Amino acid sequence: MSTDTKTATVARKSSANWLFGLTLLGLLLAMCIVLSLTTKSFLTEANIMNLMRQGAMIAILAVGETFVIITTGIDLSVGAVVGFCTVIAAWLLTHDFSIMTTVIITLGVGVAIGMFHGFGIVQMGLPPFIITLATLTSLRGIGLLITNGATINIVNDTFTEFSRNDFMGLPNLFWMVILVGVPAYIFLHHSRYGRYIFAVGSNMEAARLSGVNVKLTVYLAYTLSSTCAAFVGLLLAARIGVGNAMQADGWELQAIASSVIGGTSLFGAIGSVHGPLIGAFILATINNGANLLNVNSFWQRIITGLLIILIVYFDQLRRRRG
Amino acid sequence: MVGTNPHGQAAEAVVATASVPILELRGLEKRYGATHALKPADLAFVSGEIHAIVGENGAGKSTLIKLLTGVITRTSGEVFWEGQPVALATPHEAIEFGINAVHQEVVLCRHLTVAANMFLGDEAVGFGLLRKGEMTRKAQAILDDLGFDLPAHVLLGDLTIGQQQLIATARAAIRGTRFLIFDEPTAYLTRTEAAQLFALIRRLKERGVTIVYISHRLEEVFELSDRVSILRDGTLVGTRVTAETNETELISLMINRSLEQIYHKEFFPAGDVLIETKNLSGPGFRDVSLSVRAGQIVGLYGLIGAGRSEFVMSLFGRHRKTGGSIFWQGKEVDIRSEREAMDLGIALAPESRRDQGLCINLPVGFNLNLPIFPHITMAGLVPFSADRQRADRQIADLQVKTSGRGALVSSLSGGNQQKIVIGKWLNHGARLFIFDEPTVGVDVGTKAEIYRLLARLLAEGAGIILISSYLPEVYELADELHVFRRGEDVARHAYHTASHEEILSEAIGV
Repeated sequence: MSTDTKTATVARKSSANWLFGLTLLGLLLAMCIVLSLTTKSFLTEANIMNLMRQGAMIAILAVGETFVIITTGIDLSVGAVVGFCTVIAAWLLTHDFSIMTTVIITLGVGVAIGMFHGFGIVQMGLPPFIITLATLTSLRGIGLLITNGATINIVNDTFTEFSRNDFMGLPNLFWMVILVGVPAYIFLHHSRYGRYIFAVGSNMEAARLSGVNVKLTVYLAYTLSSTCAAFVGLLLAARIGVGNAMQADGWELQAIASSVIGGTSLFGAIGSVHGPLIGAFILATINNGANLLNVNSFWQRIITGLLIILIVYFDQLRRRRG
Repeated sequence: MVGTNPHGQAAEAVVATASVPILELRGLEKRYGATHALKPADLAFVSGEIHAIVGENGAGKSTLIKLLTGVITRTSGEVFWEGQPVALATPHEAIEFGINAVHQEVVLCRHLTVAANMFLGDEAVGFGLLRKGEMTRKAQAILDDLGFDLPAHVLLGDLTIGQQQLIATARAAIRGTRFLIFDEPTAYLTRTEAAQLFALIRRLKERGVTIVYISHRLEEVFELSDRVSILRDGTLVGTRVTAETNETELISLMINRSLEQIYHKEFFPAGDVLIETKNLSGPGFRDVSLSVRAGQIVGLYGLIGAGRSEFVMSLFGRHRKTGGSIFWQGKEVDIRSEREAMDLGIALAPESRRDQGLCINLPVGFNLNLPIFPHITMAGLVPFSADRQRADRQIADLQVKTSGRGALVSSLSGGNQQKIVIGKWLNHGARLFIFDEPTVGVDVGTKAEIYRLLARLLAEGAGIILISSYLPEVYELADELHVFRRGEDVARHAYHTASHEEILSEAIGV
C-alpha cells in the first residue's frame, strides 16, 4: 500500500509545520488589517515605523531566549542585562571611548555574563532558573552602584541618532532584527551546534553518549542569549540616550512570551528563529493597537495576558493533532 | 466437587457459570486512518486464568492493551464484561470494572515513599490529615504478606527498577483488581525479582483474578500461563492451551520462521586485538582484564547491576576509570570523553533506549545523524543533501518502519526505535561496537535482523562487546563469554564450552 500514502503523510506533516509559520504571520496580518480599518492612525508611515522600532528590541531578545529555552533552560536575566548594558555603554561613551570600542566592550560584557550562567549551570549544577534569577537582581544592583542610582546622559549624537534613523525606508532598529535573525536562523537550523542545542534539549544523556559536547552547548546557548541582550542594551541606550540600570524592566517576560507565542516549547527541543520574531511583533502590535484604540493601559496588561494564553493554547491543540 | 453435590444438574450449572468469560471480545477492531492496527478479533478471557499474549512488536499487542484499559476507543466490535455489553471507552470505566495494567516502565512517584505510592489516591486520612504511620504499617503488612522483602518507609526512587515494578504490582493487587494486564513485566527484573513477581501472579490467580501476560520471553509464557494467544500483523492468529503447544509452534505462528534461524552466528578468524584492558577499575566495577579482537564477539553475562554497563561506560569515556589501563590497538590510551572514544573508533549503543539512546521527540533522521554531524559539517554548516542521503540510506538499510526521516522517533515501535539506536553508529566508521542489551523489548523478527547485523559488522572487520542478561543470546552468539558478578569478571568461557547451569551459578554466586 504504502509508499504513496507514506510520502503523502510526510508531505502533509512538513506542510503543516510550514502552515503554522503562516498562521502566525496570518494572525499578525489580520491584526494589522483590523487595526487599519478601525483606526485612522494605524496605517500611517509614522506609526508603522514606530511599531517596527517597538517590536525590534524584544524580537532580538526573544531569539536569544529561544536558544536557551530549546535546551529546556530559561534565562530570566535578559531584561536586567539590557538595563545593565545601557549603563556600561553610557559610562564608556561619557569616558571618551569610541563608539566601536564601546560596542565591543558592551558585547564582551554580554558574553561574560552568559559564560557565568554557563558556569553556574554546568560547573556548579545550579538550575537555570536560579542562576539567571540571581543575575537578574544583582546586575541591576551593580548598575545602580556604578551610577550611584542616577542616570547617565549620553552626549554622542552619532550614537544616539543610530536608533532613530532609517535606512532604505526601514528603521535601523528593524534592520538590526534582520542582522541578528538571518545568522541566528542559519546557526540554529543548519549548523552542527544548532542541532546540538535541540539534542541537548531533547535528551541530554543521549546527546552526551552520541559524542555531543553537552557542556559547551549549554555555555553556547546562554552566551548567545546574554550577547543578544547586550546588543539590545546598546540599541536601547542609543534610542533613549541615557544609561539607567532600571531600564527594560520586565522585558525578560516579554521575550519569553514572544518565544512561546512563536511556537517554542518550554519542555525543550521544539523551536525556531522565525517564530519568536513574529511572536515579538504580534505582542508589539497588540500594545500598539490598544494604544490607538485608547484602551486603558491597565486593561492592556490584562488583554496581553489573555491573548498569550489563547495563542499558546491553540498552538498546543494543533501540535496534539499533528 | 460433583460428588458432594446431590443434584447433577446444579453441578452442571455451577460449571457453566464458572466458564462464563469475565471479558469477551467480539469482532473487536481498531483502525488509525489507513492503518489497520487490530483486525476484527474474537477472544474470551476466562475468569481466573493466566492468559499470555505473544507477538512481534507492531503485531497489535499495545493496541489490544489500550483497548482493554479504555485508553483508546474501538473502531467497531463489541466488548462484554461478565456477559453484559459495555462501552469501555475511558480508563476510568476500566478501573471501575477492576481492569488494571502494570506497565514495563513504572509510572509512580519516585520522590514519595513506597507506602505513599501504594496508597496514592486512596490515602488514609484522619481529621483531614494524612495518617502516615498507619499507611506505612498497612503497606508493610501487605508487602510482608506477599513475601516481598521490601521496606515500606523508603523512597520509591531508592529501590531498583525491578523492586519498583513489584511495588506497582502490589499496588494494583490491593485495589480490588479483577483483571490485571502485565506488559513485559520482567524486562528489567533480576531472576529473584522475577521469581517473586511470578509468585505474586500465581497468588492473584488463586484469588480469582484474571491475568493477561504479555512477554517476549517464551519460557515465561510456558512457566506461567494457562492459555496463550498469538498476534501477527494485527491479526489474532490463534489461541492455544499452553500445555498443548510448544515454543516452535508459537514462534512459527508469530513469524513463520523457525527457531534455528533466530540466532544467526557466523565464525570469523580472530584478527588483531582492538581493545585490551588491564586490571581496569572504575565506578561500579573493579579489576577487569579482557581483550576484544577483530571478527570476534565478546559476551558479558551477569545479573542486572553486575557492573557490565558501568565497565563499558568507562571504555566509552562516560565515567573516568579509577585504576588499571586501557590499550587501543596496542597503544595505551586515556579515554576522557565520549568524543575521544568515538574518535578512536568505539561505538556504544546504550542499555536504555528512552533514557540514553534516543532524542525521542526529534526526527528519525536527526537521531541517525547525531553522532556524525562533525563528519558531514562543511564550513560550520550541515549540508541538507548529506544529511538527507545518509538518513535515507540508513532507514532503507535497516528496514526501519517509519513514514520517513522527518517522523518523530516517539512514533516508532520499540523494535524500530532500537534499530535507530544501533543504526546511528553504522555511519561512523567505528571498529569496536559495544551493544548493551540490544534486544530488550524487541520482537523476534527484529532480533534476527540485529543478529545478522552483528555478523555483517564482524565480516567488515569490527569487534563487538555484547552485553545481555538473557543467557541464550550471549551463549549462542559470543565467541568468548565473560561472567560478571558484583563488579568483577568472575569467569570466562570459549564458545559453547560451559553449560547454561554452570554459567548461571557463576553469575549468581552459589
